[in-house]
Amino acid sequence: MQEKDSDSEITTNPVVSNLSRRTRILRKLTFIVPVTVLSLIILMAIFADLAWLGFPDVRLSPYDPVKMSLPDRLTPPFWAEGGSTEHILGTDKMGRDILSRLIFGARISISVSLLVIAITAAVGTILGILGGYLGGRTEAFLMRITDISMAFPPILVAMLLCVSMGPSFVTVVLAISLLGWAPYARLIRGEALRIREEDFIAQARIIGTSPLRTMVRHIFPNIINPLIIVMTLQIGLLIITEATLSFLGVGIPPPAPSWGNMVNDGRNLVDTAWWISTFPGVAIALVVMSGNFFGDWLRDKLDPRLRQL
Amino acid sequence: MVRFILIRLLQSVIALVGIAMLIFILVRVSGDPALMLATATSTTEDIQQIRVNLGLDKSIPEQFWIFVSDVLKGDLGESLFKKKPVTGMIGAALPNSLKLIIPSWGIAMLGALLLGVLGATRRDGLLDNGVKFVAILGQALPGFWVAIVAVYFFSVRWQLLPTSSMGGIDHYVLPVFTLAFFLLPGMMRLVRSSMMDILDSEYIMLARIKGLPERIIIWKHALRNALIAPLTVAGMLFAMMITGAVVIETVFSWPGIGWILVEGVLARDFPLVQAITIMVAVLVLGINLLVDITYAYIDPRIRYQQT
Repeated sequence: MQEKDSDSEITTNPVVSNLSRRTRILRKLTFIVPVTVLSLIILMAIFADLAWLGFPDVRLSPYDPVKMSLPDRLTPPFWAEGGSTEHILGTDKMGRDILSRLIFGARISISVSLLVIAITAAVGTILGILGGYLGGRTEAFLMRITDISMAFPPILVAMLLCVSMGPSFVTVVLAISLLGWAPYARLIRGEALRIREEDFIAQARIIGTSPLRTMVRHIFPNIINPLIIVMTLQIGLLIITEATLSFLGVGIPPPAPSWGNMVNDGRNLVDTAWWISTFPGVAIALVVMSGNFFGDWLRDKLDPRLRQL
Repeated sequence: MVRFILIRLLQSVIALVGIAMLIFILVRVSGDPALMLATATSTTEDIQQIRVNLGLDKSIPEQFWIFVSDVLKGDLGESLFKKKPVTGMIGAALPNSLKLIIPSWGIAMLGALLLGVLGATRRDGLLDNGVKFVAILGQALPGFWVAIVAVYFFSVRWQLLPTSSMGGIDHYVLPVFTLAFFLLPGMMRLVRSSMMDILDSEYIMLARIKGLPERIIIWKHALRNALIAPLTVAGMLFAMMITGAVVIETVFSWPGIGWILVEGVLARDFPLVQAITIMVAVLVLGINLLVDITYAYIDPRIRYQQT
């Protein structure tokens, strides 16, 4: 680990110092802005309400996200004509407060993404290390499955599961995870293949370290950097996938607010109530962009070799 | 080479059986498909009848055997809600999907090549930054949202184009371009990065030393090799294309595969969803097989290494 870090510094530092002031500031901004946005969204997701701490009445959102109020239906945002500051971003066709739904929607998007990342990273890492370190038939077999999984549209698996289990939070997480481990397995296997040839692995083998211990104690610590990079770069992809599923009606079932199903709610009302679909769309784009920028920044910092990702 | 192809073909068949098994299990995860077909007024006898009709009263291995042999015979069952054979429904929808996908594909590919190459040759220039910006935006904006916004401006506000369904050439503009916009960023990034690697390689340096005009170096020597890059991710691009088609067809009520798929899911028509999944699985395996064979053809080392 120690050695690797100093290595990447040597390769990145001269490059950085050659850049103009403007580029350097820009580069800093591509770190600060996304991290701020992501932190804010995560805080929003955590403190949307404090029901999980035992205070169901303490809420960050101005209203209950599923509470309907037909007299207030289709109120525009406060700056538009007919809008009021009571509903800052307006209401949907059932009079539910858009801002409150956005805040609670963040909770769903973030928790789906984090759960899927945890599951897929664990499975992908284990399969990738096994394939890369053991080689031979195991590797050929695992890589075949990985290729197929990467070419299979996750949306179809989600639909299949949705038909049999019905749409739910669990269905979404399961459906995305079922194929989502493949990118990790592919990358980690490549890294494991490379590390396997290093001297310290041969030395470990000579002193009689078991294959399992070698994989856990010697290979795994050396793939942490690429692992973290892929995990971050996956955030955006997962948020979009969840939103797409919910938009198509096979994700988070209504009335629970998800950014995807909110866009769907406003789909047939774009001409009269543009705000219903617009705000969740912007929220998705903002988070995905932040996730991607942060991932890119992290990659340049930790492991510039992985530029292709 | 023949040996290589045969081995790969066998592997694909095994994979297909594996996928069929997975689909079979996934559809039955909930336990009893008969229960979800039952309406509120169904009696226990009705449910039992549904079960017998679907063959669900038989043992699981027996059910799997029937399922596999039907699939092999090309009999994918009957849609539960339309009461028509699903193969016929897919056959009717497929051309509509292709009419949408093929032009989008062409536009996206052309755009990706042009922008990717220009971006790579003018690295960090104004144009390159513009290209990067489009890629970032294109990857962050959800496809369904872009389509809705496009409908709002072009159909509702300016009334230039129809909002949905199939029809004359004007019905194609919005769906084709929104789908192309969905496919473009990923392809563009790929072309750009592979072009950049190639332009740094030694044979390009040699071409420069030889004094070839830059135009020929880039558009002939480098591009030809950069074109192999999309091949490596052909599978991933295919998955993206299916997702894109499902989303765009839904937004534009385009009567293609994606649309009947979404309708099928919402109606919980599992034979239909299952059949489309199997069809896509066959296509996925076919594409993987083709890519592998092409590779083995281009690079003989792969042939010997993996047999």
